[in-house]
Amino acid sequence: MNMLESIGAGVINGLAYVGGLTLQFWSGLRASPRALVKRGRWRAAMRQMAMIGVEGVPIVAVMSICTGFILAMQTGSELRKFGALQYVMDVVAVGFTREAGPLLTALIVCGRSGSAFSSEIGTMVVTNEIDALKTMALDPIEIVMVPKYIAACIVIPCLTIVSNTAGILAGAAFMFITTRITLPMYLRYIFNAIDMRDVFTGLLKSLIFAAIIVNVGCMEGFRVRGGPEAVGRSTTSAVVKSISLVILADVFFTAIFYLVRKD
Amino acid sequence: MADAMISVDGLTVEYGSNRVLDNVSLEIERGEIMVLLGGSGSGKTTLMRHIIGLEQPTSGTVKIRGVDINHCSRKDLRAIRCTMGVAFQEAALFNSMSVRENVGLPLHELTTLSDSIIEIMTYMKLAAVGLGEAIDRMPQELSGGMKKRAAVARATALDPEILLFDEPSAGLDPIVAAGLDDLILFLKHAFHMTIVVVSHELASAFKIADRIAMLYRGSLIAVENKEAFKASTHPRIRQFLDRIADPITESAAARDHLSQLAGLAGAS
Repeated sequence: MNMLESIGAGVINGLAYVGGLTLQFWSGLRASPRALVKRGRWRAAMRQMAMIGVEGVPIVAVMSICTGFILAMQTGSELRKFGALQYVMDVVAVGFTREAGPLLTALIVCGRSGSAFSSEIGTMVVTNEIDALKTMALDPIEIVMVPKYIAACIVIPCLTIVSNTAGILAGAAFMFITTRITLPMYLRYIFNAIDMRDVFTGLLKSLIFAAIIVNVGCMEGFRVRGGPEAVGRSTTSAVVKSISLVILADVFFTAIFYLVRKD
Repeated sequence: MADAMISVDGLTVEYGSNRVLDNVSLEIERGEIMVLLGGSGSGKTTLMRHIIGLEQPTSGTVKIRGVDINHCSRKDLRAIRCTMGVAFQEAALFNSMSVRENVGLPLHELTTLSDSIIEIMTYMKLAAVGLGEAIDRMPQELSGGMKKRAAVARATALDPEILLFDEPSAGLDPIVAAGLDDLILFLKHAFHMTIVVVSHELASAFKIADRIAMLYRGSLIAVENKEAFKASTHPRIRQFLDRIADPITESAAARDHLSQLAGLAGAS
């Protein structure tokens, strides 16, 4: 009975959390038209774009090169047995555009920026800055969250393209080392193997991941109560929850795309 | 009272089983300085947060110029807040913005003034609190007193009718604190603002207050003018005025616990 109770409580808490996220998402969406026409919001969004995007390029590129190389080596060692090493190129191209690029980028952004969102907002809560905004008749969602939202929705798909490119180039390095296939040849093969629909579904997923990361990061920040140690806890929780939700959303949307593609 | 700027009626606030404010009723008139006095944990900051409408009370109402702040439309709340300025205890300046941007923020967001006019107004507000030279500094580069003055400049940016201060002199040396008292009096006389000051500093309260409201453990025990307050015979007010410490009472349970710890259970 006790176990059932705790499972029930867990489910209710989970649903309440998702409900809270949805409400916050909705208020963000409602505040967006107001925010989009204000110069100050775009300035803040540009700052966020630099932090999430520009500063994130090196790590996304390096991690994608490594992952691309690992993917090529692992599949290569199996495919070699069948003399089908050239299919490594298909695996890397399809794997990155559909899945590895968007997911890897989202996970890196969760760690880098999701944590930054929650600690920034959490600190603002602790130092009464959020209250100060409210007492000035300003909407914290519009001023603090919406610029992050705009920035993430623009920059995370861009980072995903960086990740796709880096991963595919790592595949080129592997193919050159193992079979001496040159870059122009490799690229010609890759462009044939890539389906533009894969690229777009990947980018669509990255947009959804961007919404999740900003929402969870901001919500964990806004929910901070107490002192500095609560900010630390919220940061951890923002990273853990956004990574989990990104992967859950990935399963969900990949399943949808899979079903749609079948017909 | 027709002229009440802020009227609090039967305000009760409970956090779980802990009653923080107990049936507090208070009217603050236009143009007066009301000091909310009380010891630590007496509920004075909680009362202020409810007057600003940052929290929902368990029961009771807070009305600003006759409008219930907890049950009004979003538009009304916005209109009320545009006429209120709040200087928080820790100043609550936006750390990522310079002093200039902090003070200019409400002007940029809530008015349609041009940038050059906002620039002039920002400088005037900062000059009025003696911070004209610190306009381009970041909040981290300011001393405690400067931060509080910058917060006052930001709170007065939109020329509010009501100004609220949470512990303006806490953590400041007597000279800087006296400067803030003078600033509060200046704002009252120059702009005829209604000012609410949360404080536990007697000297400051007697200097600036028109009336003093004393809170004790969540209840309002007196609302008097300065002279009547000084002459009060209420034991809690006398204790506060005469700086007499609470006797450290030892409960029977605490005594039992101590003797158990000492291995003296049963022996007394």
